[in-house]
Amino acid sequence: MHDIRKYLVTLVKIMAIFMLWGSSWAQESFQPVQFNHDYHLGDLGLTCLDCHKNAKHQERASIPNIDICSECHEDEFDNVEADKVFEYISFETAIPWKRVHRVPDHAYFSHRRHVQLGEIDCIVCHGDVEQMAAPFERPFVNMDMNWCLDCHEKSQISDECSDCHR
Amino acid sequence: MQESGNHRWGMVIDLNKCTGCGECVAACKVENNVAIVGAEESEMDRTMFWMDIITTHEGEYPDTEVTYFPRPCFHCDNPPCTKVCPVRATYRNDEGIVTQIFPQCIGCRYCMAACPYTVKSFNWFAPDWPEEMNSSLNPDVSVRPVGVVEKCTFCIHRLQKAKELARAEDRELREGDYLPACSESCPTDAISFGDLNDPHSEVNKLAKSLRAFRMLEELGTEPKVYYLSKVE
Repeated sequence: MHDIRKYLVTLVKIMAIFMLWGSSWAQESFQPVQFNHDYHLGDLGLTCLDCHKNAKHQERASIPNIDICSECHEDEFDNVEADKVFEYISFETAIPWKRVHRVPDHAYFSHRRHVQLGEIDCIVCHGDVEQMAAPFERPFVNMDMNWCLDCHEKSQISDECSDCHR
Repeated sequence: MQESGNHRWGMVIDLNKCTGCGECVAACKVENNVAIVGAEESEMDRTMFWMDIITTHEGEYPDTEVTYFPRPCFHCDNPPCTKVCPVRATYRNDEGIVTQIFPQCIGCRYCMAACPYTVKSFNWFAPDWPEEMNSSLNPDVSVRPVGVVEKCTFCIHRLQKAKELARAEDRELREGDYLPACSESCPTDAISFGDLNDPHSEVNKLAKSLRAFRMLEELGTEPKVYYLSKVE
């Protein structure tokens, strides 16, 4: 009986260590600012293109930085994350966003081709961003070639190799 | 300009105008991230040029006549290289451009042996640039890994960009919208580029000139790069 108790206590200790480690790990955020898409899109009524300004007319969508954030964040807000943004703006330091969506070097992707010419909604590739309270840590889908070709075949779009590989 | 898909892209190089300055070679290297090969490897014929200049000499000194032939890939209508590729890493597309799909290439080099114009290069080593140059690589063209064959693509990435822009502006592709780096950079306008199918294009007219000829025409490869012979 004593052995079982000792065993259980050890097990609980191990579990506690794992839980503590897990929670401390979770607190370390992947992105420098816990940007809230839900608030900006839902509550404030912004659109994706208000901040990702190049998504429609350029190949690269552009990740917004202090030049765009400062259009609204002129003062401190009653929010820790917004204060972080204000601090970056005050010190004129770029927010070191970590890039999450990346196609391999041997593949070429153009936002203009998909957003403007293909008229594809952002959510098709990036998920329901409007519901996201935290920034991206990983892509919404695994953007591999099969995933690209699935959509190209369904939409009867060219699948010529040189359109994407060069 | 013709409807998209009916194009047949080609080049006409006026040997009277070419001074052999090498601007096209440099522009091509920079545009397409073509690796720089050191002296030791160059001696082993491992230089890498998508656009090269072949120099010929005629006559005895001092009455020597020098001619410079800028030499890109000739994008043959009947290309021998595509026929031997076991993995379809090179093929002739609908608009006549012989493309090279680098991630598909297995490096067997059959295409290099088949090309009568020796326009293809093999990556014997992983390309290496000085640290400072890494940020100046063209993001529209991939950096080829070791073990694959590469060659001039007529800057096909520029064609795709030009088409995208034309569609975004809801108009047809115009002459001059799409120029490869060599043609755009030539200071003497010796390299004309355009749609051979377009009866109004400059290249169409020049290609019909009495001065026009193609390299090793007798092989039946039907190159789409024409030269205008030198005249006094």
